[in-house]
Parts: sequence; structure tokens; C-alpha cells
Amino acid sequence: MTGLVWLCRRETLRVSKLWTQTVLAPVISSILFILVFGLSLGGRIREVGSVDYEVFIVPGLITMGMVQAAYANNASSIFQARFDRYVNDVLSAPMRPWQMTLGYTVGGIFRALAIGASLLVLSALLVDVPLERPFALLAAVTFGLVLFGALGVVVGIYAESWDHTTFIANIVILPLAFVGGVFYSIDVLPSPWEELSHFNPVFYLVNAVRFGFLGEDDVSIWLSLGVTLALAVPVYAWSQWLFTTGRRLKP
Amino acid sequence: MFRDVPALELRALTKRYDDGTVALEDFDLEIPDGAFFGLLGPNGAGKTTLISAVCNLLRVTAGEIAVFGEPHDSMEARASIGLAEQDINLDRFLTVRETLVYHGGYFGMEDLERRADEMIDIFGLGSKRDTRAPKLSGGQRRRLLLARALMHRPRLVILDEPTAGVDFELRTELWRYIRRLHSEGTTILLTTHYLEEAEQLCEEIALIRGGRLIARDSAEGLREHFSAERLQDVYVKAMAS
Repeated sequence: MTGLVWLCRRETLRVSKLWTQTVLAPVISSILFILVFGLSLGGRIREVGSVDYEVFIVPGLITMGMVQAAYANNASSIFQARFDRYVNDVLSAPMRPWQMTLGYTVGGIFRALAIGASLLVLSALLVDVPLERPFALLAAVTFGLVLFGALGVVVGIYAESWDHTTFIANIVILPLAFVGGVFYSIDVLPSPWEELSHFNPVFYLVNAVRFGFLGEDDVSIWLSLGVTLALAVPVYAWSQWLFTTGRRLKP
Repeated sequence: MFRDVPALELRALTKRYDDGTVALEDFDLEIPDGAFFGLLGPNGAGKTTLISAVCNLLRVTAGEIAVFGEPHDSMEARASIGLAEQDINLDRFLTVRETLVYHGGYFGMEDLERRADEMIDIFGLGSKRDTRAPKLSGGQRRRLLLARALMHRPRLVILDEPTAGVDFELRTELWRYIRRLHSEGTTILLTTHYLEEAEQLCEEIALIRGGRLIARDSAEGLREHFSAERLQDVYVKAMAS
């Protein structure tokens, strides 16, 4: 277990050393969203359900910041380790494949939690965000970060250039987050956009996190948690398979 | 002076890469515990493939590898190998001291702080202990790479062309330290293109070409076998045969 602890420490140390890039920058951009969309435009938008708009968008923005960070951190960390080949120091060490998988996943989770906590504190200074269902929030964050952290590991292992890692972030995760109900309730969407939103995995995660904070949801919390978990398990298993077989990591 | 269980035992080791290239084919090799063993061959002979296979850095196509009698992928075998790769592969985010401490952590060491300081002193990296790897000179990086390989006190040290591009001073220092380790019972597997180095250091030398073992003996035995005066001549004859 010692190896796992040190790999986790290494991955979190990297986040800490690069804190201006890994934590500060995404926190600032998310806070700007709250300021621009919430406080500036919020006054012109009616309440969503029974919640003020500036409060409504906070859970979604926290979710978006966290999942992007969990993915990007792990994708770049493992890709860099492969590119410079210092991943060999871990691959040759007396560690089990599950320890390597978990160790490389932890960095993204740590970074995402640092961003989430910072955003929560800062947004609490700007708007009054309640915490209605903490256990639902805990489950949603856990499943969501495992899903996107493991996705980052998988993409970082398959990527052959930096472009590949950023492609997934910019072309898949970011658009899915934007249309996943971060800024609106899907109830207001006309058909077929409302129905199509149900095929967006980020929608379920945003919905679950929002339920945790506000106690309000577009779809059942159990469905949201179930969909997120149902995606997290195979993606994590995929990353585990890569470390177990050495595929893409070892020639 | 050699002990019963070999330090390294390869049986019918075959590695075929995804593009069809066969780097090693039915390769057998046994290196006694406590040996100073040299592996010589041209680029592409399969030396680095062999080392990578032993260190769990590639997927073996067929065959068996045992390290001190244990399967090479077991935790015991992994812990007993120290590898300094041919290319410098240091973690760009870690300082010199962190590189050693974290490596010790991955390998389950307990006295890693003290050992890291010891290795820093031995390899003359004291003034750079808080410097990150990318800021080091080429020679300093090579020192750190070697210090990292030896950090966890491996019983089998694998050095893949450790003196390529290294100045005379470091080379002399390195060999003095490696000789001392060997005298204390550590098994050394060395690949090098410097034949005089192999002749001076290695008790046994294996010549490989095209993924196959051509000859194996002491430097003197090889000279006799190939009717050659110098190891360089042996090498030329062996590779031409």
C-alpha cells in the first residue's frame, strides 16, 4: 500500500505545485460565469422553479468546473508521464495494477475537490446557496469525479498528442456541460431538445448535484445517480483494464 | 562466489511487437546471483527489449522470466530490480530530492528520507537537491537517474548504456561506485557500446544480434573462441558471422 500512498501524494503534489493553472484559473473562470450570468443577467431572468437564477446556476457551474478539472488533470498527468516516459518508474515498481489506476485517478479528484470547495466558498459570498441534501451531493460528486477522473486516465493513455486530450475536453465535455442544464432547467426546452437532453450524461450529474444543493430536480435523483454510476463503473473498469494488461502503456 | 538461485533467468523469451518486428526469439539466458554481466550488441539487437521485459515495461509475447527465482511480475521480483534506462526519464515536476524520495515510496521503502540524502551525497547532487529535473545539466540528470535506480537498494541493478554521453569524471566515479556495489554482492547487468568498459568490468559477456544469443563467455574466453586479440575484434567477428 505504500506505493499507492506515494503515487497519490505525487499526483496531488503536482496539482499543488501548479495551483495557479490547476485551481486558480478554473475558479476564476467559473466565478466570472456566476458574476456575468448570475448577478448581471440574473435580474432579468425569472426564478427557475422556486429558486433565484443566480442561485440556480451555482451547482451546475461547480459541477462543470469539477468534471472538467478531474478529466483534464488526469489526462495531462498520465499523458505527460507517458510522453517523458517517467511513467516507467511507476510501471516497474512493486505496485498492483489497481493501485496504479487508483493513484492516477486521485490527482484529478483532488484537483476537482479543491476547485469545488473554492467555488462553494466564493459563491457563498456572492449568493445564498443552500445545502439541502448533503448525502445526495456526496454520492453525486463521488460518482461524477470517478467517471471523469477515470475518463481522463483512459484518454491520457490512448492519446498520442496533447491535441487528443484537449479535443475530448473541448469537443465533448464542455459542450455536453453547456447543454446539460447548467444554465437552465430542461423543462423550458421545446421538443425535441428536452428529450435529447436525457441522452446527455452530464445532465444527470448536474441534476444530481443541483438536487444535493437545492433539493430540486428535473428528473429523479435516483435515476441521476444511477446513470452516473452506471457510466462511472465501466469507465473506471476500462482504465483498470489498461493498467492490468499494459495495453497502450507498454509496447 | 555465486549463489544457487540465479539473479535472472530467461526461458524461451519471445517478443514480437505489434508491427510484426521480432525483437527477441526463444531467448534463453541465466545470470548468476552476484555476477557482473555485460550484454553487448548493435542497435536493434534486442538489448533494451530484454531489459524492458525483465522490468515489466513491455508485454512479453512468450516465455518466462524469473528474478531471484520469482516471476518477474511478482512484487518481490519488482522490488529487487533497479533500472537506469538508456534515455533520461525523470519526472519533470519533482526536485532532485523528491525524485528519490518518491521513487523510494513507490518501492515501499521506509527509510527513504535518509537514503535520499545519502544518494544525493554519493552522486554529488547536494547543491541541486531542490532543483527540478528539467533545470539540471545533462550530467546531473544522468547522476540522478543512476541515484534513482539505486535508491531502493536493489539486488539486481540493470544499467542500459549508463555512460552514453557522460564525461570521463562521472564515468570513473560511476564505475567506482558500481564496483563497490558489486563487491558487496549486488548483481549488475550492463549494456554498453564501450567494449573496453565491458572488458574491464564484466565477469561474463553475452553477445546478441537480431534477438538471438550468439556467444557468452568471459572476455578472455570470447577472445579465445573467436581467435581474436581484442574484444573489439571479437565483436566484429561475432556480428559478421
